[in-house]
Amino acid sequence: MDVELTEIVEALCQHAPFNEIADDPSLNDMVKEVEIQYVRTGEWVIERGTLNNTLFFIRSGAVEVLNKNGKLIRRMNEGELFGYGSLLRGGKSSQSMRAIEDSLFYRIPARWFLKLYEESDTFSDFFELDRETRLKAAMDSQTSDVSLMTCPIKSLLRRDPIGIDVGESIRQAAQMMTEHRVSSLLIMENEQLVGIVTDRDLRTRAVAEGLAYDTPIKAIMTKNPTVMDSGDYAAEAVLKMMELNIHHIPIVKDHKTIGVLSTGDIIQKESHGSIYLISDILKQTDVDGLKAISRKMTHTFTQLVVADANTQMIGNAMSHIGTAFVKRLLQLGEEQFGKPPVPYCFIALGSQAREEQTIKTDQDNAIILSNRYDPEKHGEYFEQLSHWVCQGLDQCGYPLCTGDVMASNTLWRQPLSVWKNYFSEWIQEPKAEALLHLSIFFDLRGIYGDKLLANELNKHIRQEAKNHSGFLSYMARNANQRKPPLGFFRQFVLDGEGKQSRTFNLKERGIAPIIDIVRVHALACGSDKLNTIERIADIEAAKLLPDGRARDLALALEMIGMVRISSQKDQIENGEEPTNHVNPELLSSFEKRHLRDAFHIVSRQQEFIKFRYAGKRS
Amino acid sequence: MPNRVIPFMKTKSDTTPTKDWQAMFRDWAQEAPEGPLKRYYEAGTIAMDTPLKDVPMLALDLETTGLDSRTDEIISVGSVPMDHRIIRCNGSGYWMAKPECSLNPESVTIHEITHTELEEAPRLHHIFENILEALSNKVVVVHCVAIERQFLLEASLKIYGFPLYFPVLDTMDIERKYHTKLPWWKRIIGKKPSLRLDACRQYYHLPRYKAHHALTDALSSAELLQAQIAYHMDATNDPISKYWL
Repeated sequence: MDVELTEIVEALCQHAPFNEIADDPSLNDMVKEVEIQYVRTGEWVIERGTLNNTLFFIRSGAVEVLNKNGKLIRRMNEGELFGYGSLLRGGKSSQSMRAIEDSLFYRIPARWFLKLYEESDTFSDFFELDRETRLKAAMDSQTSDVSLMTCPIKSLLRRDPIGIDVGESIRQAAQMMTEHRVSSLLIMENEQLVGIVTDRDLRTRAVAEGLAYDTPIKAIMTKNPTVMDSGDYAAEAVLKMMELNIHHIPIVKDHKTIGVLSTGDIIQKESHGSIYLISDILKQTDVDGLKAISRKMTHTFTQLVVADANTQMIGNAMSHIGTAFVKRLLQLGEEQFGKPPVPYCFIALGSQAREEQTIKTDQDNAIILSNRYDPEKHGEYFEQLSHWVCQGLDQCGYPLCTGDVMASNTLWRQPLSVWKNYFSEWIQEPKAEALLHLSIFFDLRGIYGDKLLANELNKHIRQEAKNHSGFLSYMARNANQRKPPLGFFRQFVLDGEGKQSRTFNLKERGIAPIIDIVRVHALACGSDKLNTIERIADIEAAKLLPDGRARDLALALEMIGMVRISSQKDQIENGEEPTNHVNPELLSSFEKRHLRDAFHIVSRQQEFIKFRYAGKRS
Repeated sequence: MPNRVIPFMKTKSDTTPTKDWQAMFRDWAQEAPEGPLKRYYEAGTIAMDTPLKDVPMLALDLETTGLDSRTDEIISVGSVPMDHRIIRCNGSGYWMAKPECSLNPESVTIHEITHTELEEAPRLHHIFENILEALSNKVVVVHCVAIERQFLLEASLKIYGFPLYFPVLDTMDIERKYHTKLPWWKRIIGKKPSLRLDACRQYYHLPRYKAHHALTDALSSAELLQAQIAYHMDATNDPISKYWL
């Protein structure tokens, strides 16, 4: 008699981690020991403090998890698992689980759970109890070198093929290669590709062999070289090159040779198209030209996302592009209005200063003027210049700042001495409400002009912050204003109080809180870095946080940031405006699971800074 | 043939629930011919005042070549042991039986069992003893009592010359009772509720299963009974006699 409980195996294998081990024949034996239990809405499944000896799989229905104080921890639905915490710790459950819908559970005996946990890494990784470790494992599994996998060879070809007739001499071939600055030459006969010659061939087959220069090129060419189709993936070309130990592959399209792919082209690809975009920006002679380029921005952005660039790389690229626009606009402005009468520094604030810009960000900028600035004499010049830049940026896809934090606002176009006074006042007599709006000023980078002005201001800020510890407690409280969600339940975002909503702002509730936390620590340890990841390194070095905790923030930031950019990429591809809003229905279970861990890390670190920088309320 | 007339065979489900299966089993143990069936009756069954929570149950489902127990045959049997709260896959059973007559192609498509599988299966009388073992000491849980009861009775008559009886909890009968307890206006306004297994399961928010595999269907009715107990019954105080047929 062979009993096959296919219904149960199939249900389990539709969900992680069982889908990963679906081939494991022991699953069939396992389900023979599964128990099934029906629980009505409102009834307890596991009560806190009771001994639990099974892993629960929610076949249908939903469950709510409460901690020892009765506080909601999470909600779970079909396909999710619970009870493993007590199984791994080998004891009583520290949480309570209650059915919030009529639910059917498959109960997997502890023995089987522990066996699979021992035997399969993919299985045990899933149940890693430590959120930080779990998140790290998940991020590691995501970083793969797939950028070349997704791009076709034709996107890497940089020039038309250079060819020579098969009857020509070695000397003529060498001359041609020199003239066109190529490292390989196609050998043609009646417009058909018959061979290829490379620099190396000239060296090893001609010079080293002492062949006469008028020997026909035919003598040293590689006959009938391996070719690839322009539509093949670049990754396949890399494999082919490695396999045959060659550095050049002629690329054909519809039987016609359209170029040669070299190892150099592939290395180029890795350093991204954004570099070309920047040199293009700096070549433009008017705003219309810049505008035209700015339309390619979304394309560059999606390319970077598709190429699996991480958020740090993308933030960096987008910020440098943004800076290039500012730079070129100011150069054009100076051509138009004349040389600046006194030195000035154009500063970027917020994400651009941190080099964490994404697509579609408002402009946040200001100008620090030299202390020699005289409003009577120089005011008009800088008024014109700043309006020119801000309007220009607006046309190039960086909309005007709704809070009017821009160089065009006189308030934010002041001499260094005034700026120093601003910060001294904010730091010495902080007002919580005001600081919330001003926190953007604490990420400040000089991007054009006399950058010493920006450096001096930053030094002043660090000095003042160090001398006024009360300020840090205000910043810490500010960093606690925006709370991340608890997690997800079905198609909803779940908040601590059990509130469920359809969409949420990833920037407001995930990324900004991390940046805020890190900024407080960075000010506390006097870091001169602006980039959040770099600040985290300084915080770690200063040992402001328990071991490893600083790096957890970087992990959480990367996780949340990845979800944001990939969702923005999808929005762009669907012809929508990219936003920071995310609809949980569009998230994968992988994303939901690990976002939840990231949110948890953020909440905990928010709590931590409240105590770490607990100052007296004034 | 036994001289006792079995009350449930002629009456409807609203029979006064006073059947003393334990006593009846004692009588049949006397009358049954020596062999597996006699041992089955000798093993007895639970007392009629046993509270639901202490009742050992076996969810059962048969797939047959048709609906007429006199001409059609059992081709597969699925069973899962359970109690009022837990269904135990450990101990579940599944048997296929090669029918005497050739298969009707229509029923084959319903059951997802192929001719080859049945060709290789043993005859019913070779596995009947295993089925008796599974049934021993259990109250049988089925959806729609008539099929399982009639077919097993006919088969037992053929094999042993003596009928097989067992106490039953019929999830369809239970559902009918609780649906007729709806307020009068709901009964008038609403359309007549379906009592099919799949429909009943949905009343309790149980998941959809692929029907017509004996083991899956046995599981289906097992889960349905658990839901019905959770919703309508008092497992600690209600005696089994209140529900069994």
